[in-house]
Amino acid sequence: MELAPIFTWLYNRLLTVGLGLELTDIISLAALAVIVFGFLSVMALFLVWWERKFAGHIQQRFGPMMTGWHGVLQTIADAVKLIQKEDIVPAAADRKVFFWAPVIVFVCSFAAYVVIPFGNGLIVSDLNIGILYVIAITTFTIISLLMAGWASNNKYALLGGMRSAAQAVSYEVPMVLAVLGVVLVTGSMSMNDIVKGQSAWGGFHWNIVFQPLGFLIYIIAATAESNRTPFDIPEAEQELVAGYNVEYSGMKFAMFFLAEFVNMFTLSAVATTLFLGGWNGPLLPSWVWFLIKTLGMVLVFMMFRWTYPRLRVDQLMEFAWKALVPLAFVNLIYVGIMARWVNW
Amino acid sequence: MAKTRDLYTEELVLNMGPHHPSTHGVCRLILKMDGEVITDCIPVVGYLHRAIEKIVENRTYAQCIPIMDRFEYVTAMMCDWAFCLATEKLTKLEIPERAEYLRVIMGELNRIASHLLCIGVTALDLGALTPFLYTFRERELILDLFEMTCGQRLTYNYIRIGGVARDIPPEFIPKCREFLNIINPKIDDYEKILTENPIWIARNKGVGIIPEQMVYDYAISGPSARASGVNYDIRKHDTYSIYDRFDFDIPVFFGCDSYDRYRARLAEMRQAARIIGQALDQMPEGEVRVKVTAAFKTEPGEVYSRIENSRGEMGIHLISDGSKKPFRMRARGGSYNHLMAVPEIVKGLKIADLVAVFASLDIIMPEIDR
Amino acid sequence: MGQLVRQFVAGIYNLVVGLLTTGKHLGRHAVTIQYPKERWTMPERSRGMVVLLTDEESGLLNCTACLLCMRACPSGAIEIETAEDEKGKRVRYPKGFTLNYHICCFCGLCEESCTFAAIKLTPKYEFPEWDSQKLIWDRDKLQEMGRDVKYESRERKKGPDERIEAAALADGRPVPPEILERKAAEEKAKAEAKAKAAEKAKAEAQAKKEEASGTSEATGSKAESPEKKVDDSKEDTPS
Repeated sequence: MELAPIFTWLYNRLLTVGLGLELTDIISLAALAVIVFGFLSVMALFLVWWERKFAGHIQQRFGPMMTGWHGVLQTIADAVKLIQKEDIVPAAADRKVFFWAPVIVFVCSFAAYVVIPFGNGLIVSDLNIGILYVIAITTFTIISLLMAGWASNNKYALLGGMRSAAQAVSYEVPMVLAVLGVVLVTGSMSMNDIVKGQSAWGGFHWNIVFQPLGFLIYIIAATAESNRTPFDIPEAEQELVAGYNVEYSGMKFAMFFLAEFVNMFTLSAVATTLFLGGWNGPLLPSWVWFLIKTLGMVLVFMMFRWTYPRLRVDQLMEFAWKALVPLAFVNLIYVGIMARWVNW
Repeated sequence: MAKTRDLYTEELVLNMGPHHPSTHGVCRLILKMDGEVITDCIPVVGYLHRAIEKIVENRTYAQCIPIMDRFEYVTAMMCDWAFCLATEKLTKLEIPERAEYLRVIMGELNRIASHLLCIGVTALDLGALTPFLYTFRERELILDLFEMTCGQRLTYNYIRIGGVARDIPPEFIPKCREFLNIINPKIDDYEKILTENPIWIARNKGVGIIPEQMVYDYAISGPSARASGVNYDIRKHDTYSIYDRFDFDIPVFFGCDSYDRYRARLAEMRQAARIIGQALDQMPEGEVRVKVTAAFKTEPGEVYSRIENSRGEMGIHLISDGSKKPFRMRARGGSYNHLMAVPEIVKGLKIADLVAVFASLDIIMPEIDR
Repeated sequence: MGQLVRQFVAGIYNLVVGLLTTGKHLGRHAVTIQYPKERWTMPERSRGMVVLLTDEESGLLNCTACLLCMRACPSGAIEIETAEDEKGKRVRYPKGFTLNYHICCFCGLCEESCTFAAIKLTPKYEFPEWDSQKLIWDRDKLQEMGRDVKYESRERKKGPDERIEAAALADGRPVPPEILERKAAEEKAKAEAKAKAAEKAKAEAQAKKEEASGTSEATGSKAESPEKKVDDSKEDTPS
């Protein structure tokens, strides 16, 4: 049951109202923005609940069970709790920067969804620089980490913010190089083209089959980008005295928290699109395949979090620059050779 | 020739205060740091001081046992045992065979429980959140065994002067054997998650080196010493109770780092399971307690008796003046010496390594503060 | 170079093994229970709430105010108030029995020291209170909490009459007259029996004396060591 025809029909109905092309476009894009925002909010709530249940069952206990059936309303309860908390701003903090940091991280996390293909024809806007746009927008969140660390007027928060910014910047390099391998083979940066390039073999001509090393590098870099274990030094209470979000409370903290999960979903969606064949697949509708594959990748990230210990900061940076970047170059050379001679 | 301007740097004093998720109790560490690297570490103890040694001077010997439970509540059976050994040495009391076997079984079960806690908490401090729950799941089985025997899960009041309090109930032995069957595969599970994990190795190998000379200088004992190549275990080298009847190995490693301390604890758990199996096979029937009246007195004298606790050497120095209450008791726990060695170990390491070292030395505060 | 590749592959392999080890727990049932909807059954030796046990026949406490538990407690959580009868002898029933749960450490030494099966630690553990003063239980509350507790009763040398009389004296109530009558009748019978026995013994001793009046080998009877009196001082009770 494809969803693209529904949207096309709605758009045509809107045209017949007779407001003119530009106005109709603006209204339809605004409506799409609201729909995507709504979907992502629900997805963020669902992911928070799912992570807690998953962590519980891995540890042979139940997760949340009291709020709603098996705890489905737990995230809403947490959100209500965070909303009614007092919004404390430290006395000597830089108020403007303090306010705008969570806003930027929130906006940028959602802005990346302009080019994510949710299904066949279900993409808000198929830019021809699709994947580059995603990488650029997710890099924006690094600025907000620095803003949060700086504005808190807390030397430990500043250290934490700078450290997490350094981590994110370092892991951008291997991530981009892994992505570059896929772009090389596809010949285009547009997300739709990348997905269509994997539609052979009955929808199973996935890039992971040809570039497993690239996939591995991408997963590791993505775990580091979203500040998850084993790279979650910015959030580790046991080791750090404070992180960049130590002075935030209430809804602002909730913004950072939700943005982290949305970011994880973005990275999983990008991994699905680039390496796992996007929305390709037999029998089921395309958006169902997309959801299955993306949630599967989210599951992999969650398994990493609940199994592995965390790396020390210097080991983290060492790993990025001394291990991942050379590997990424090796991968790129390998893809280049394969693309030229084996004619992928 | 260009001259670089010297950057003005300052030594940072960081207080890893009594409220901290990784200090295993209430320990305050004042860290002097140069950027990320620790230059000095000053431990401030005393936040858990309960004046146990003074309280014991006003209690009869039988009443001291619940107090000694709380001396080191993670291995409460062994604290009771050390105290009873000291008192029995003073009065030259002979306790029944079955009581000795029961003491060994309870002591070794407690050792396994304590090591499970240590490994779980070490993993938790380093970010692996799941092994903590797994080790506590096994610990629950041991605590269930204790609860069916003496009624409590943490402060047992079971090992008494003259033997043990009561005989084990009939369902203890099958449950204990079931536990012994389970524990080895579970330790293999922990090994699969942690021991060969490259991240775990990167965090622990080469971190917190304790050279052999430092072991002798600071009187470090227990698995922390055996991970530095010092082959010394009081159960074999200064045998007490009936440990000479059991066949078990002392795992010794030579890496001197946190990784080997972790491995030493894992290996010790397996050996403890061996001892329990042999004790269950060899245990005779009979009484479990020599009747000790309320007017129990010891000979006047002085005795130092020590046992191999899961954290090292636990010693009780008991001075008696012939009355119903001890004149002076000094309890020695291994964690105090380990904590005093921490400043020397962590010079030049980072905070993250301090956490790993602290956790791997298995330092807990009740032993230090009493 | 080969070393590096081997290290890399070994690392990836061990990471995957770790994932599988945690992953295999996903299919297993949880080991926790949903308290308060489900509860564990505690073992019967569990040391929880302290109660005073009641004798079924008389409906009164088994406690004889011997103060052994008070002296055995290492924390000093038990306080017993005793009463005296008109002759100055201690009545064998507690006038007041206070157990302070702020101090009690649930060690069980009181239960072990009691020879009358009067005090027991039960497996119950749910007795929280909003008001902390309500955690200092008096004799009646302890008795009420212990009414439905099963225990192995000890042999009583004396019947329920003795308990009723002692309880009445301890509470300062008048003793029921029928008990006093029965007691008086018993004492009279005892006195008569004693007089008869004394006469008989005297007669026998007279006969023996006449027999052995010849040689008198006075073997001094061993002086019996006086039995150590039960020490009622409070030196064992920690303050």
